[in-house]
Amino acid sequence: MTKNKKWVILFLLPGILLFSFIFLGPIIVLFGTSFTDWSIGKEISLVGLKNYIYLFTEDKTFMDSLKNTAIWILLQATFHVFIGTVVAIILAKKRWYSSAIRTIFFIPNVISSAALGMLFLCVMNPQYGFINTLIMKITGEGFSQNWFMDPKSAFSAVTMTWLPYAGLVTILVMAEMSSVSEDVYEAAKIDGASSFQTDIYVVLPLMKNIIGTSAVLAATSMLQKLDIIMMTTNGGPGSRTMNMPMYLYKTVFTNNNYGLANAQGVLLVLLGVILLKSIRKIFSMDAKE
Amino acid sequence: MKKTKVIALLLALTMTMSLVACKNKDASKETGTNTEASVDETDKGDTPEGTSSEPVEISYATFMVGSHASAAAEEEVINAFNKKFEGKYKVVVEELPSDNAFVDKMKILASSQTLPDVLIGKNGIRELAIENGQAVNIKPFLEADPEWMKFVGEDAMNYNMEDDGSVYSISNQRQIIGYFYNKDMFSKAGVTPAKTWDEFMSNNAKLKKAGFTPLALMTGENAWTTNLWLAAMIGTDGADGNAFMNTSYPANYNNSSVIKGLEMLKTCLKEYTTPDAVGALYANAANNFEQGNVAMIANGPWMCPDFTDETKSIPGFGDQVGVALYPEDGLIAQFEVGYILCTNGKSAEEQAGALEFLKFKTSEYAQSVFLEKAGVLPLTDNIEMSAEYKAANPILSELIQLSGSAKYTFENIDNTAFSSIVDETAVRYPELAYDEITPEEFADYLTKAAEMSK
Repeated sequence: MTKNKKWVILFLLPGILLFSFIFLGPIIVLFGTSFTDWSIGKEISLVGLKNYIYLFTEDKTFMDSLKNTAIWILLQATFHVFIGTVVAIILAKKRWYSSAIRTIFFIPNVISSAALGMLFLCVMNPQYGFINTLIMKITGEGFSQNWFMDPKSAFSAVTMTWLPYAGLVTILVMAEMSSVSEDVYEAAKIDGASSFQTDIYVVLPLMKNIIGTSAVLAATSMLQKLDIIMMTTNGGPGSRTMNMPMYLYKTVFTNNNYGLANAQGVLLVLLGVILLKSIRKIFSMDAKE
Repeated sequence: MKKTKVIALLLALTMTMSLVACKNKDASKETGTNTEASVDETDKGDTPEGTSSEPVEISYATFMVGSHASAAAEEEVINAFNKKFEGKYKVVVEELPSDNAFVDKMKILASSQTLPDVLIGKNGIRELAIENGQAVNIKPFLEADPEWMKFVGEDAMNYNMEDDGSVYSISNQRQIIGYFYNKDMFSKAGVTPAKTWDEFMSNNAKLKKAGFTPLALMTGENAWTTNLWLAAMIGTDGADGNAFMNTSYPANYNNSSVIKGLEMLKTCLKEYTTPDAVGALYANAANNFEQGNVAMIANGPWMCPDFTDETKSIPGFGDQVGVALYPEDGLIAQFEVGYILCTNGKSAEEQAGALEFLKFKTSEYAQSVFLEKAGVLPLTDNIEMSAEYKAANPILSELIQLSGSAKYTFENIDNTAFSSIVDETAVRYPELAYDEITPEEFADYLTKAAEMSK
C-alpha cells in the first residue's frame, strides 16, 4: 500500500506541478490583488474590502451582470440540458433521419463564436434580416424589430444565440445511452413497458451522472461566455445583456481598473465552485456507487 | 507489473519534458517583440537565423489593413521603408482587423509592458504606455532634426505636449470633419445644408417627407458617426458648449449643451435614420450612404476616395456628394494622437531603427502618400496639394475652403473623452432611442463612466 502511494504521488506530481504554475499561482495573485487598487502605471496600495463593497453596494452594472449570469446559468443547466437530453433520446431510436439530425444539431458547436455572432447579426438584422423578412411574408404587413438593440427583446435575442443548440449534451447522453445493456430494454419490454415508459422510468435514471456532467458543463460555460455577447450587443442596451466575464473585460480594458476586475474574477471563481458543488449534490454525483 | 510501472513512469516523464520543451519554445518566441509576426516571417524564411547580417527588426502594429480606407497608403509606406533600409532595418507588421481589435490588443500588451516599438496611441494607449514606462519622450529628437520638425509642425507637436513639456506622440494626421450630403436628395427635397440646428431638424423632416432617409447613424462599435453629430451639437452650442468640446477628459457631462444635443439625437435616432442604425456598425452606415440610401453622413475627408470607388459606391456617386460645415458653422478640427515610440529599455539598434521608422512614417513622403491615396490631410501646409490633386478631389478641396469660414471649431468625443465614455455612449444610445432613459440620465451615466476611468 505504501509502495503504491509513492507511485500514485509520482504520477500525480506532473499534473499537480502544472496546475500550480498555470492555475494556482495566478489564482493566488488574483485573490491578493482583488484587495488592491491596482491599475497600470500606478502605485499599488491595499484597499481592503473596498472593491467588493463597491461592487455589491454601488455598482449597478455589476449587479445586473450578476443577475444576468445567474439567469443564464439556470437556463443552461435546465432548459439547455433538457433539450439536449430529449433530442438524444429521440435520436437513440436510430431512425433513418437520426444520423443527419445528429450532425445538423451539432453544427453550431463547431462554428466559431465570432462567425456565429456575425451570423446572428445578419439573421436578426432589423432591415434585411431573415426573421423580420419571414414575419413580413407570413403576416403580409410591414415589420421591423431590432432584436438585439430593443431593450425589450435584447436579453431574449442573446439567449437564443446559444440556448437551443445543445449538440454537446446530445452527443454525451447518446454516448452514455449506447453503453446501456440491451438486457435492460428487453426486461422492460417483458414487463410490458411502452417505449416512452422505458425512456422515462428506465433509461433516464441510468443517465443521471451524464446529465449531471452535462449540467456542470452547460452551466459553467456561462461563466466564460464573452465572445458572442461582444459580437452582438457588447453588453447593451445599457447593461441588459451584460454578464460577469464581459463586465470584467470592460473593467480591465476600458477603465484600466485591475483591482476591481480581479475582485470580480474572485467572485466568478467562487460562483464556479459553488455551482459545481451544487450541481454535483443535486445529481448525487459525489455519492459512492 | 514492475515493467508496466517503469513504462508508465517513462511516459509521464516524457509528457513532462515535452511540456517543458514547449514552454522553452514559447519563451524563445517571446524574446522577439512581435511573436505572431516573427513566427510568420521566420516560417517564410525571410529572416535567416544565426546570421550576423540580419537586419534589426522593428515591431509595428496597425489596424490600417484590409478594407480600411488607409490600407493601401499604409502598405506603400511600410514597403518603401523596408526597401530604403533593406539589410539594416525591417519592419515586422502585426495586422489587427479593426480599430477595436487594435485598441483591445494593445491594452493587453501595455499591461505586460510588451507594446510594439511603434504604434498609434489612440483611445488611451498612449497614456498606458507613458504610465508603464515604455513610451519615449520624442521632443528631443524633434528638436534635433529641423527637417523632420518642418513637416510635423509646431501645432501638431504642441497638440500632443504634456504639462511638463514632454511629447510622447507624433500626430499622424490633421483632421477636419464636417458632413457629406447627397446633392440629388437635397435638391429633390428642396433643402440646402442647414445653417442652424432648427433648420437641420426641419431639413430632416423635409427629406423624410420626400421619401428619403436623412441620416446614416450607427451606435455599434464606437458609435462613430452618431458621436460626430453629438460633438457638433455640443460644440456649436455657444461659448460654453464649444469650451466643453475643447476640454480634455471632462469629468461632468451633466450640462445643458450635452443634454440639448442628446435630445436632438434622440429624435434623429427615432425618426430620421435607418431601421438598423441602433446597434449598426460603421460599415452599415457608410454602405447606406454610399449606396444612395441615405442623405447625410458625418465623417472625415478620408472617406472621399470611397465615393469614386465603384466597389464601394454606386456608379457616378462622387458627383452626387457635397460637403458642408455643421449647422452654426461648426467644424471638427483637431490633430490625431498619432504614433508613439515604445522603445524604452530596448537595445540601441532597436531604438535607432524605431525612431527612423517613426520619422519615415511622419515624413513629407509618407504624408504625401496618405494624402494622395487615402485623403488624409497633412500636418502642415509645407506639404502642398497640387492643382491636379485639388481638381481630382473637389470634395476635399471644398472642405478645406469651407474650413476657413468655420465659426466654431472643436474636437470629437473620441479625442477629448476617456475611452469608457465612448463605450458608454454606444451602450446607452439604444436605451435613449427606445425611451428607456432620458437625456439627463444619459448624461449622468457618462459622468459616472468618467469617474470610473483611471
